[in-house]
Amino acid sequence: MSQTIIVDPVTRIEGHAKVLLDLDDGGKVKSAGLVVNELRGFERILVGMQAATMPAVTARICGVCPSAHAIAAAKAIDAATHAEVPVAGHLLRELLYMGHVIHSHAVHLFALAGPDLLFGVDSDPAKRNIVGIVEAHPVIAKKALRLRSLGQKINETLGGRGVHPVTVVAGGLSFVPTPERMASVTEMATEALALVQELAPPIIQALLALLEKSPQLAGIKQETAYLGTVRNGKLNLYDGTLRLVGADGKILKEFAAAAYAEHLVEHTYDWSYMKPVFAKVDGKEVVYRVGPLARVNLADGMETPLADAALTAFRAQWGRVVHVTALQEHARLIELLYACEKAVLLAKDPAARGNTLAPVTFTAGRGVAHVEAPRGTLLHDYQVDAAGVVRSANLIVATQHNYAAINRSLTQSAEALGVKGPADGNLLNGLEYTIRTYDPCLSCATHAVGRMPMQVSVRKDGVVLYDVRRDS
Amino acid sequence: MTTTKVSVNVEWLSACGGCDTSLVDLHEKILQLFDAVQIQHWPLITDIKERPKAKIGLISGAVRSQHDHKVAVEMRERCDAIVAFGTCAVYGGISAASLAHSNAEILDRVYVHNPTTVGGAAPKNTVAVLEDKVLPLDEVIPVDLYLPGCPPHANFTFEALAAVIAGRVPKARDESVCGRCKRTMKKTEVAAIDSGYAHPMDPSLCFLSQGQICLGSVTLDRCLSPCTEVGAACTGCAGPTMQILTEPNRDLRTEVAERMSLLTKIPAAKVVETMEAGAKSHYAYAMATKMVGSKPTFLIKKWIEKIEATT
Ligand code: SF4
Ligand code: SF4
Ligand code: SF4
Repeated sequence: MSQTIIVDPVTRIEGHAKVLLDLDDGGKVKSAGLVVNELRGFERILVGMQAATMPAVTARICGVCPSAHAIAAAKAIDAATHAEVPVAGHLLRELLYMGHVIHSHAVHLFALAGPDLLFGVDSDPAKRNIVGIVEAHPVIAKKALRLRSLGQKINETLGGRGVHPVTVVAGGLSFVPTPERMASVTEMATEALALVQELAPPIIQALLALLEKSPQLAGIKQETAYLGTVRNGKLNLYDGTLRLVGADGKILKEFAAAAYAEHLVEHTYDWSYMKPVFAKVDGKEVVYRVGPLARVNLADGMETPLADAALTAFRAQWGRVVHVTALQEHARLIELLYACEKAVLLAKDPAARGNTLAPVTFTAGRGVAHVEAPRGTLLHDYQVDAAGVVRSANLIVATQHNYAAINRSLTQSAEALGVKGPADGNLLNGLEYTIRTYDPCLSCATHAVGRMPMQVSVRKDGVVLYDVRRDS
Repeated sequence: MTTTKVSVNVEWLSACGGCDTSLVDLHEKILQLFDAVQIQHWPLITDIKERPKAKIGLISGAVRSQHDHKVAVEMRERCDAIVAFGTCAVYGGISAASLAHSNAEILDRVYVHNPTTVGGAAPKNTVAVLEDKVLPLDEVIPVDLYLPGCPPHANFTFEALAAVIAGRVPKARDESVCGRCKRTMKKTEVAAIDSGYAHPMDPSLCFLSQGQICLGSVTLDRCLSPCTEVGAACTGCAGPTMQILTEPNRDLRTEVAERMSLLTKIPAAKVVETMEAGAKSHYAYAMATKMVGSKPTFLIKKWIEKIEATT
């Protein structure tokens, strides 16, 4: 006889889920899975909409990474219409996007992961949040909030809005920013770069201290393959070639986004709205991960000097390919540094001035494009008709790529923690932390966001024995 | 804001998280907010899992599943005042475009007939059962304050919270997006509808004067009209103006058509026809609300079937 447990709710993750734990006859953990409980069905509802609205509409798939969706959609429609986006159009989209990445990584590091880093995973939940950080570490908190604001304001200055930008359109960027706007973006990027350099050392220290205090975290690793994007071998978030490396860091394959269907395959679970994705390698289906850790693992190096030095130091300490899930936060910090440096370079680039928009003409066709969303590779695929109407749509989002690995990690953590009955707070915290290190954006993953309440359902032979939860 | 802290629960239903993120976009003001309120439950950023009693409940997102429904009811029981926060909560928002399809159709596309999914079947164990259709919050629980916007601009949110805290009516005008738009409306000789992407457009002239559809005049300003200044026409993400909502014979397409036909040489009927053909885009944000969906002339399903049937 086997059993199942459910952990509900996992907070501080953008999404909505619970954990299902199946036990074997001896009461030992057999498998664990994250149940994603929400579905909005964008792949169906986009059909029949005007293709030109895809960037603005798909931004609403996820309010946590709207700029990533907008850019992926715009690039896909560029491809479907063969639009020749002017250089300034690409550079300014990328600059807008760096602003978004600064905001998103800063929110994650300080508001989502920060409380665990600064207070420890087993601290008082009432304090373990951003408000607690503001009280306990006012100087760091102020700077972190400022950094986040700068990122979001860069995104807003070029995007028209912070959440759900409107200027990213097929053909480029919908307007030519005035010299005043560009000057303010340059100033903000420069300030962000200075701030991130002040914030990096305390964050790294906190991470090291956390790993020392909770050694079990250093033991949570997943030896998986990794997928991400490189341009000339260097990590790139806006565009480039998809690269898949094995757990040993060897390149398994490189491919263009347009060929994704040959290399990736989605499955379904009958207990979750989210679909896991596997890579097809030599006739086998391989579990891989995406996101900051995946990207720093598979890139030859970073394009900008400070980030590259940070990556070199990271590798010197942890090795060439790093599997420890908690070090995701360190990888995120390296990318945050990169995004700030890259924003300064783009803002000052003379090629980012002048015409930003090419005319777009629809003919029946297909367009596939991708972007590295803050949490990993995001793919948009559209079939459009000559009237500019979407005929079919397919999306693969960051958290889906990580889903198989998340479930493997959950199984590992549950095995390590053991299952001790319905009032097992330790199990809730441990599983919750495991999920959080993946930074899953479940809204995205089911093309729905929702809360992520946590409940562990303990099952044996498919029958729920009891729930572990913390509802009042 | 006051000195005694006011308790707040924040909750999200079928949402994108953008409304929550926009709260953080109060930027420096967020510290002022943290001073004035005691946030007890906010899934995005706090670790408190239960929903204690609170003075204010801020709910973003539409009701998509029975689980959303249950959470909404629980929030109503525990909060003195409920704010429908954002277009999804107020009108159903973007996911309401699913009204045009049955759940079976949606599940089929995502899990069964999907180009990159193998061996697929729609999930049926453990997951929350979907409601038959997307519901705005007030079809499930009574709502005290409506704050549309996708997401609402942080200034409106701040004002709404400050007002509820002080027990007064929020200062928010019933103006349309045109009110703050800097483009000039002027009579032109334009004789055909313009998609807006086939050639460069004039950045200072009203979109309607150029024959491009802009929903600014029929959309409530809860965003400070940022779009038209950066080359984008208003797509109505904050939902309709009071006039459209309350007068049964007024509608997005007839109002826009009337205005555009006055500003150009394009006949109103042509504008109406174009907007019906693009109905799934033009009505994307508010079609789930009865105030739009129950208008006698609103034949969204028929228009959408027509679009999908043409090849
Ligand atoms: S109203 Fe807009 S921003 Fe808010 S949850 Fe809905 S889609 Fe997201
Ligand atoms: S219709 Fe659009 S472009 Fe014209 S004034 Fe109104 S908001 Fe501005
Ligand atoms: S699309 Fe319209 S309602 Fe939405 S933010 Fe832009 S101007 Fe405001």
